Amino acid sequence: MNGKRFAMCAAVLALASVGTSHAAPRMVIPESTFDFGFVPQHSVVSHVFWLMSEGDDTLKILNVNPG
Amino acid sequence: MLAVGDSTELEIIFDTKAVKGKASKSPSISTNEGPPVKNVRINADVIERPDSTYPIIIDPYKLDLSQFSEKVIDEKEFTITNVSDQPVELTIVSMPRGLFDLKLPDSIKPGKKAKGKLELRKEAYTESIEKSVTIEVSGPDSQTKTRFTLPVKRSLKMAEATPPPKPQSKPKGTP
Repeated sequence: MNGKRFAMCAAVLALASVGTSHAAPRMVIPESTFDFGFVPQHSVVSHVFWLMSEGDDTLKILNVNPG
Repeated sequence: MLAVGDSTELEIIFDTKAVKGKASKSPSISTNEGPPVKNVRINADVIERPDSTYPIIIDPYKLDLSQFSEKVIDEKEFTITNVSDQPVELTIVSMPRGLFDLKLPDSIKPGKKAKGKLELRKEAYTESIEKSVTIEVSGPDSQTKTRFTLPVKRSLKMAEATPPPKPQSKPKGTP
C-alpha cells in the first residue's frame, strides 16, 4: 500500500516538474534591417535600432560586435 | 540590463570612407539569452558622385551645420531636383530624435526643383553632431521607392572669447 502511494507521489512530482519552465530572457528586435539607400562617399551615417526585452527574466546585453 | 518589458536603443554608425557601390554590415548582439547571437543589418549604396543619383539629385548632399564663431548656424537649406519624367513624393523614413527638424516638399513635378530645410533645435546648439536623415522617394505608382540618406554634421570650434583691448590711459598732465 505504502509502495503504491509512493509511486503515485513520484509520478505527480515528475509531471509537475515537466510542466515547470525556467524564467528566460528574450530579446526582440522589431526592425532588424535598415536600408540607407544612396549614401555619399566619405560620410558618416547612423540609424537607431530598438532592442526589446520580452522574455520573463532580465535581459543583459553582453557585447555588440560591429561585424 | 533591461528589465522585462523595457527597451533600449542601439545606434549603428556607418562610416562610408572610400567604399563604392553596395555595402552592408551585420553587427551582432550577444545577450544572456544565449546562442545564437542576434544580428541587425544595414544596407547602403555608396555613391562617388552625389549629382548622379536618380530620380532626384540633392544639393548639397552633406548638410554641415558646423559653427566656428559665436554666430549660431541653426539651419541649412538644400535643393532637390526631380530629374525623372514622373512626379515624385518624398517622405522622411528615419531621423534622430530631438536634434533637428526637417522640412521637405511633399512632392516635386518632373524636371522641377524644390527646397528642403534642416533646422537645428535649440537643445542641440551646444552639441557636436554626426548623424543622418533618411528620406524615401516614391513614384506615382508608389511601387518604385528609392532611399537617400543625407549625412548631417555639426562641429563646434568657437575661438575662445578674447577680452576687448583696454583703453589707453592718458598721460598725466595732458589735456
